[in-house]
Amino acid sequence: MIFLTKTYAEINGKIKNGEAVVVTAEEMVSIVAEKGTKVAADEIDIVTTGTFGPMCSSGAFLNFGHADPPIKFENLWLNDVSAYHGNAAVDCYIGCTRLSDVKRFEYGGGHVIEDLVAGKPVRLRGNSYTTDCYPLAEVDTEFTLDDINQAILCNPRNAYQRYVCAVNSSDRTLYTYMGKLLPHYGNAHYAGAGCLSPLSNDPDYETIGIGTRIFLGGGIGYIIGEGTQHSPSSQFGTIFVKGDLKQMSAEYLRGVTYEEYGTSLFVGLGIPIPILNEGLAKKTAISDAELFTDIVDYGIPRRDRPKPRRINYEELKGEYIHLNGKKVKCSSLSSFYHARKIAETLKTWIQDGKFFLNPPAETLPTTTIFKPMKQTLKLNFVKDLKKKAEICYEDCDIKEVARKIITENINHIVITDKNSILKGIVTSFDVTKAIAEDKKDLGDIITKRVFTTFDDEPLSNASRKMKQNKISALPVIDENKKVTGIITSEELM
Amino acid sequence: MTIINVSIPFGLVKDIDDYSKVVNDILKHDITFNILKFSTGSAGLNLLLDIPEEKVKTITESLIEKNISVNKKGRVIVDIDLCIDCGSCISLCPTDALTFNGEERLKFSYEKCIGCLLCIDSCPRFAIEEL
Repeated sequence: MIFLTKTYAEINGKIKNGEAVVVTAEEMVSIVAEKGTKVAADEIDIVTTGTFGPMCSSGAFLNFGHADPPIKFENLWLNDVSAYHGNAAVDCYIGCTRLSDVKRFEYGGGHVIEDLVAGKPVRLRGNSYTTDCYPLAEVDTEFTLDDINQAILCNPRNAYQRYVCAVNSSDRTLYTYMGKLLPHYGNAHYAGAGCLSPLSNDPDYETIGIGTRIFLGGGIGYIIGEGTQHSPSSQFGTIFVKGDLKQMSAEYLRGVTYEEYGTSLFVGLGIPIPILNEGLAKKTAISDAELFTDIVDYGIPRRDRPKPRRINYEELKGEYIHLNGKKVKCSSLSSFYHARKIAETLKTWIQDGKFFLNPPAETLPTTTIFKPMKQTLKLNFVKDLKKKAEICYEDCDIKEVARKIITENINHIVITDKNSILKGIVTSFDVTKAIAEDKKDLGDIITKRVFTTFDDEPLSNASRKMKQNKISALPVIDENKKVTGIITSEELM
Repeated sequence: MTIINVSIPFGLVKDIDDYSKVVNDILKHDITFNILKFSTGSAGLNLLLDIPEEKVKTITESLIEKNISVNKKGRVIVDIDLCIDCGSCISLCPTDALTFNGEERLKFSYEKCIGCLLCIDSCPRFAIEEL
């Protein structure tokens, strides 16, 4: 049984009288180290947390009021970003990762939300199939946040308890939601505020649940339940939050673009944790050195990516991390400066008697399992579709390659040495070009830097590789670079 | 090793032989060096070279003699109003021109920037631009 040393009512009473002792989760680390959990639990009433990072699962419900004559939207766009309409006539949901139909990656739903909060006018275009009660077919207007009825930030998954550290083992630069990842473990990116991270400071969710009042986007918001993909057993808890966009500030809601990935929204979020007992004093004193996460290799484009090792936030916040005996430059994707500012702001609100704690009606579940997608179609691999590669040795002449192209009625000849080790590829186009340019030597027309695939690569990944590199075939090789077949765009069609 | 930015005006390089002469001029200082980047700008060719520290002075002098300009100037600017101090650019900067200051705000040291431009497309706020 947990012995309650304080209640919400007592703490709120202290806030009202301006007597509540509030510290940030960063300050709590040294307070507990110095005074111990018992004294800290007695002296400290509330620990504030904060985080400011990209949260792709963010968006807002908007209600525009009725037009005259009335319209029931079928499609609508806010600054050329399509918003979801599938409920009542003039409601919509603008999601932060939706790209502008016009500017694409430069501007998305996250930017629309930032512009609205900043007080900028936003263009609304919409159309309808029309009904007897909603006869208007088109709307093209401009509005600001003040002009509309409700504007509710409603994010189904925010404030991940911790997040992974991303690296890239592949041989090309990757553009991901974890930012730009250089090849051959060239850099590392992590997210999360470490010791200030809200859910990490109450990992058993003793004080966090439906109804918890929080700092959201510079205003007051509420937790309305567990977030999607909430995974408490692996310390990847998440929360579902809502708040009134009209109270919020563009300083804490920022639209962002990750090159070649898409748009998102930086959300500022902070949770106050009441120190109801000694256990909570101990939990909120968690330091960066005690918070661990996984390094994950994004070079492998599968759901279960390799995890080279565990790492704590103290090492992540240093300039370099150590991986495979190499120093890898590491930096964050989320802002610790702003996370600290959020925790400090929330602290001031409470000290000033402007923010009271709300006990949750129900705390977050601690046993939810995060399941993978059920896929009814069998996943196809390269080995399921590969065919025999037609091979010529590296010392053969162009004529022999040409003959093989004709007799086998194919476009790609794989060039190997006598041990079947891949040396290059020659296409029917290369041979044609050789004739046009009067080239006689295979060495003049062979492509030596060949993109390859392997038996266990999903077909969709192999096909993306071809599309990205504008090529029409991939030799299939084994771990010793021996050619075991070929896959061409014809098989994939 | 130190990185220098070498700008060769178009008038000086008309063909590949002229280019070889410039490279040979550097090689004659009996060094090995890396060409990190080769690009063309409005004024001429730009080479980003990684050369031994102790040879910077002599190489710079001999290049300047031939009207080739050498500088260590940065080639990007950071718009602090757009920056949100996330840090995405820091891990991409090979010379620590982009770092956090003591309170985790982004600090850009212009004099350390070598213009590799790796950071530009890493910024989620389009706050970094080529000068």
